[in-house]
Amino acid sequence: MIELVRELAGTYGPSGREDEIRGVIRKKISGKVDELYTDTLGNLIAVKKGNGKRIMLAAHMDEIGVVATYIEENGFIRFSNIGGVSPVFSLGQRVRFANGVCGCVCYEEKLKEPKDLNFSKMFIDIGTNSRERTMEYVSPGDIAVFEAGTIEQNGRYISKALDDRIGCAVLIELIGQLNEVKNEIAFVFTVQEEVGLRGAGTAAYAIKPDLAVAVDVTNTGDTPGCNPLSIELGKGAAVMIKDGRTISHPLVKNKLIDLAKRFDIQYQLEVIEKGGNDAGSIHTTAGGIPSGGVSIPCRYMHSPCEMVDAGDVKNVVKLLKAFIQSED
Amino acid sequence: MRTDTLLEQLCKINAIAGFEASASNEIKEIFGRYCDKVWVDTFYNVIGYKKGSSKNGKKIMITAHYDQIGLIVTGYEKNGFLRVSNLGGVDTKALLAREVTVHGKKDVFGVIGAKPPHLLSGDEMKKNVKLTDLFIDTGLPDEELKETVAVGDPVSINSQFVRMVNGCAAGRNLDNRCGVAACVLALEKLKNIEHENDVYVIATVQEEAGLIGAISSSYNIEPDIAVVIDVCHGDMPEADKASTFTLGKGVPVGVGPAFNKNVTQQLLKLADQEGIPTQLCVEAGDPGTEAWAIQVSGMGIAVVEVCIPLRYMHTGAELVNLEDVDTAAALVSKFAAGRTVRLSKEDADDTDTD
Repeated sequence: MIELVRELAGTYGPSGREDEIRGVIRKKISGKVDELYTDTLGNLIAVKKGNGKRIMLAAHMDEIGVVATYIEENGFIRFSNIGGVSPVFSLGQRVRFANGVCGCVCYEEKLKEPKDLNFSKMFIDIGTNSRERTMEYVSPGDIAVFEAGTIEQNGRYISKALDDRIGCAVLIELIGQLNEVKNEIAFVFTVQEEVGLRGAGTAAYAIKPDLAVAVDVTNTGDTPGCNPLSIELGKGAAVMIKDGRTISHPLVKNKLIDLAKRFDIQYQLEVIEKGGNDAGSIHTTAGGIPSGGVSIPCRYMHSPCEMVDAGDVKNVVKLLKAFIQSED
Repeated sequence: MRTDTLLEQLCKINAIAGFEASASNEIKEIFGRYCDKVWVDTFYNVIGYKKGSSKNGKKIMITAHYDQIGLIVTGYEKNGFLRVSNLGGVDTKALLAREVTVHGKKDVFGVIGAKPPHLLSGDEMKKNVKLTDLFIDTGLPDEELKETVAVGDPVSINSQFVRMVNGCAAGRNLDNRCGVAACVLALEKLKNIEHENDVYVIATVQEEAGLIGAISSSYNIEPDIAVVIDVCHGDMPEADKASTFTLGKGVPVGVGPAFNKNVTQQLLKLADQEGIPTQLCVEAGDPGTEAWAIQVSGMGIAVVEVCIPLRYMHTGAELVNLEDVDTAAALVSKFAAGRTVRLSKEDADDTDTD
C-alpha cells in the first residue's frame, strides 16, 4: 500500500490541473474494469458492470495548491490559493510547479504579528532575480503544489496530498480486489473537490446511481489542544452522519453501520460542522441521490504533513467492499 | 379542518432536518385526505397531487418545508452529559436551560445546562454562548447513555403548543409547520373546486440544512410555476421595521430578483380582487428560502413567495397569528385554481386570444 500511496501523493494534480494524476490512476486500473473514460470536466470514471444496484464511489484526485498571480520586477512570484490553503501551513514550505520548477514560500519580514499573515504579504522565490528570468519558468496562472515526501512510520502514513489520494488508493485497491460483482459499481476519481465539490456533481448527474458514497479524509479530535471531535486516528473507518454540506441519507448510513457490525469492521461515527465532501454535490443532483460517506481519519489536513493510520485505511477498504457487494 | 387543531398536530411531529423519514407518513396521511395521489420520494419529500381539468393548465408546485431545526449528538462527557452540534440555524442563547429529547434507540429526556449567573465571571456574562460550550444533561449512567444514544442521533427541543387569547399560537416548529398547515388548508379548499392547473403540493425536507428537498423536488416535478410558503420575521419591539411584518395584517408576498415579477404581480392583483390582505416583503438578493434554489433549477422556474410573519424564529417559543395561516391558504388556493396563470408578457398575449 505504501508504494501506491507514495506514487499517488507524489504526483502533481491541483484542482483544475488533474491530467497528470489522472494518467497515473488510469494506468493502475486499466484492464481491470469494464469501462474506463474521462468526462468533460475531467473526472475519471471506471465501471464494473453488474445487474444489481448502481453504486457510485467518489474519491477526489485533485489536491490543494497555490497559483501564481503576479511576477514582481525582481522575479518574486505573488500567489493566491487553490482550495483551502493555510498561510501558516504554507510558510517555509517548498512548492513545485507542473514543469518541475520548485519555489520557497516566504513572507515580508516587516510583518510583526502572525495573525496579519495572509497571501498578499507572501511570495514564492524560485531563485531568479528578474521578471524575465522567472517568466521563463512560471507565468501568472501556473499552479504549484506542496513538495513533501511520503513515509510510513508507527503504522501511519505521513505525506502531502493524502487528502484525497488516500481515497484514490482505496478505490484502486478495491478495483484490484473485486472479481465478479452483482451490483454495477462506478468508481469515480473526481476533479475540483477542493474548490467547491465541482466534479462529483456532474459525474453523478451522468451516472445517475441508486446510491453514492464519498471516500475522503476527515479531521480528528485526538491532538493536543484541538477542538472536541469524536474521531480518532486508528479507531477505524469513519461513517459520515453529517458534515457541513450533507446529512447522510438513512439508506446509505444505516447500511454502512449494519455492515460494519455484521462483518466486525472497526468503525466510528462522524459528525462535522464545517467543510463538505463530494457527497454534498452528489446528493442534490438529478432529483436527489441518496448519499453518504466513508472517511479516513486524517490529522493536520491541508498541511504538507497529513497523517492517516494504515489500519483505518484497511478498514475503509473492508467496509466499502462489503457495501458494494451487498445485495440488499 | 380547524387551523389550531391542525397546527397543533403538525407542531408535535418530530422531523429534524435530515431525520424526516419517520415523520413522512403522518404528513402523507394528512395530505392524502385531500389529494388525487400522494407519495413520499427517496428524500422523504411528501408530494400531494391534485389533477387539473384541462390540457391547457399549468403545472404548479407549492412547497412548504416540514423539517425543523434541532441538534445532533457529537460526543459524550462523563456523568451523563452529551456534546452537540446544530442541525440548521439554532440560536444558541435561546437553547440555554431548555428541555430536550434525544432521539436515540429510545427517546431520552435531557436539559441543556446553563451556568447560573452567580457562577459567571464578568467576561463570561458579556460573551454570547457558543454551541461548543453547551452540554445536554441526561442524568443517565455513562454505560447506559452509550448504549442508548449514538454519535449522530438527533435532538429536538421540547415545547408545548399554546393557544393565546389574541388569536395567536406559540410553541416550537411553527417555522415552518404553519406553512405546511397552509398547504393542507389550501388542499382542503381545492378538493371541491374544478381547476385547470395540475397542482403539486410538497412538504419538503432539509430546508434548514441547505434547501435540499426543494432542489430535488423542483428537478423531479419540473413545474411551470412554484409557490413557496415560508415564514418571515414578525414585528416586535425595537426590531428593524423594514425586515419585520405585522402579525394579522395580511401575508407578505416576496418581491425582488428571486421572484418572477409578472407572476408576483398577478398574485398581488388576485389578492386585491379577492379582498385577501397582503404586505410586501422586499428581498434584495437571496431571501434565505427555497425560492432561491427553485428559481435556478433545470432551465429556470418562475417562483413566487407567500410568507407568514413569525416572531422569535428558530427558538422553542415561536409565535404566529392563526389568521395569517388561513390568509396564506386562501391566497395560495385561489392562485393555484386561477384560470390562466401567465408566465411572461408574451405568454400573457398568447393566452388572451383563446
